[in-house]
Amino acid sequence: MKYMIMMFGGIGETLRDRSPEWINDMQKLLMGLDAELRESGELVDSRKLMDPAASKTVRYLASKAVPTDGPFAEVKESLAGYWIVEATEERALEIAATVVDYIEFPMEVRQIMDQPPEL
Amino acid sequence: MRQSLEVLLRELAPQVLGTLARQYGDLDSCEDATQEALLAALTQWPVQGVPSQPRGWLLTVARRSLVDYWRRETARRRREERAGEPQPFEVPGADEQPADADDTLTLLFLCCRPTLTPAAQIALTLRAVGGLTTKEIAGAFFVSEATMAKRISRAKQSIGHSFERPKDLAAGLGAVLSVLYLIFNEGYTATSGPSLHRVDLSTEAIRITRLLHRLMPAEGEVAGLLALMLLTDARRPARTDSDGSLIPLEDQDRSLWDQVAIQEGIALLTETLGRFPVGQYQIQAAVAAVHDEAPTAAATDWRQILALYTTLEHVAPGPMVTLSRAVALANVHGPRAGLALLDTLNAEDNTTHRLDAVRAHLLELAGETDQARHHYLRAARTTASLPEQHYLHLRASRLRPRVDAQKPLRNRYGGGVIIKKDTNPPTEE
Repeated sequence: MKYMIMMFGGIGETLRDRSPEWINDMQKLLMGLDAELRESGELVDSRKLMDPAASKTVRYLASKAVPTDGPFAEVKESLAGYWIVEATEERALEIAATVVDYIEFPMEVRQIMDQPPEL
Repeated sequence: MRQSLEVLLRELAPQVLGTLARQYGDLDSCEDATQEALLAALTQWPVQGVPSQPRGWLLTVARRSLVDYWRRETARRRREERAGEPQPFEVPGADEQPADADDTLTLLFLCCRPTLTPAAQIALTLRAVGGLTTKEIAGAFFVSEATMAKRISRAKQSIGHSFERPKDLAAGLGAVLSVLYLIFNEGYTATSGPSLHRVDLSTEAIRITRLLHRLMPAEGEVAGLLALMLLTDARRPARTDSDGSLIPLEDQDRSLWDQVAIQEGIALLTETLGRFPVGQYQIQAAVAAVHDEAPTAAATDWRQILALYTTLEHVAPGPMVTLSRAVALANVHGPRAGLALLDTLNAEDNTTHRLDAVRAHLLELAGETDQARHHYLRAARTTASLPEQHYLHLRASRLRPRVDAQKPLRNRYGGGVIIKKDTNPPTEE
């Protein structure tokens, strides 16, 4: 099964208060995790998104699609990056926990719909 | 042996493909045929030895496979009782020796046609001229093989059956050089991701540019670009630390720089400057050479760099050039002078984060810590490069106010019902 592990925009805010050492270690943790998951074959894809403050939302306004400034959700709830892993739910939660233990900011784990129909 | 064979085949591949495409026009099937011929060579030559006319050998095998392919296609069409007539094709004549260099060039110009998107130009160039497999190119750009195969085949379709060198060679060359520079930069800046199985795009760009330089020795800008690549790539071993973090030029361990590449770049540049009209790549290469020749960061001849950027601003003006000139200006006349020049710049979409990063750096030098931090953080928010973002966050964090910096964040983002996993039962009391 595939799971998407999601990181949110609030992580950017927490970085502001951190020491250079803390930031450096976080970067090492994330890069190390990426490498480890790639090595083990569990990683399907992993991307970080640009800061949500710069994003645009296309909205339906006055019977027409219109691009507007800003993310759809609040910046701190907006998607900031994700890992897609081929793993059990338990393993996916464990991977997320490794990161959350360090960043102290929540991450979401959700299954991807890729199962064959059973009907 | 095997390695020298691969070098030879990669050299010959674009020549063979170029010749076939010029004669038959259909890039797609010509490419398949070339691949088959290369494969045959890889299996047969190590056993039977390299033929005396390796290119002719490859052409013959490729033509045979093309003819086979057309026969199959014709038969298939007949079977399907389609109304369309089979494509007429010229029977290959005696194996004449066309100017192979010309064919490689034409192929390169074709792949870099300005009507294609940069992504398509790059993919096609790496495939047809670089001889990389679709899988390798896909890996280099972190996309799936299927995606890359589509991109390449769409690019080929839009080229169609024409195999003519563009009329305006000068304009065409500009496009070719910028594609090669893009490929080089892609390899040079993309420090994320696993490098282990990744085809090295910088090395590939250098290889193709070297080939182009051999084919067009009288083009100063081709030599300039090759020199720029060599002089920049020479610093690569010192540019990242063991965990992939960026190390800025002034902090790099210069003993790690590749002196052979530096010498080659400088020699190329010396040979070129003054002989040809000066162009942007030559000037940028000259700047790179000044950095490479400085034994320490402090010993950098910033006056010369400032003069070079002033020239570059006349030859190829743009916000990025002004930014670089501001850095040089700050190093010669102090950070305030650099900042004053930055104030004349309007941030455009793709330069905002660089403008902020440079401004932050100069503000830091000027002792304006709070302002510097503000601009570092703004640059971090707008960059699209992960290693760069990391670097900018680090710079900002060094300037952060020291009050309650380490306040615990724990439980600030709590909530939710804790999942009790039966595989991990609560400890008994």
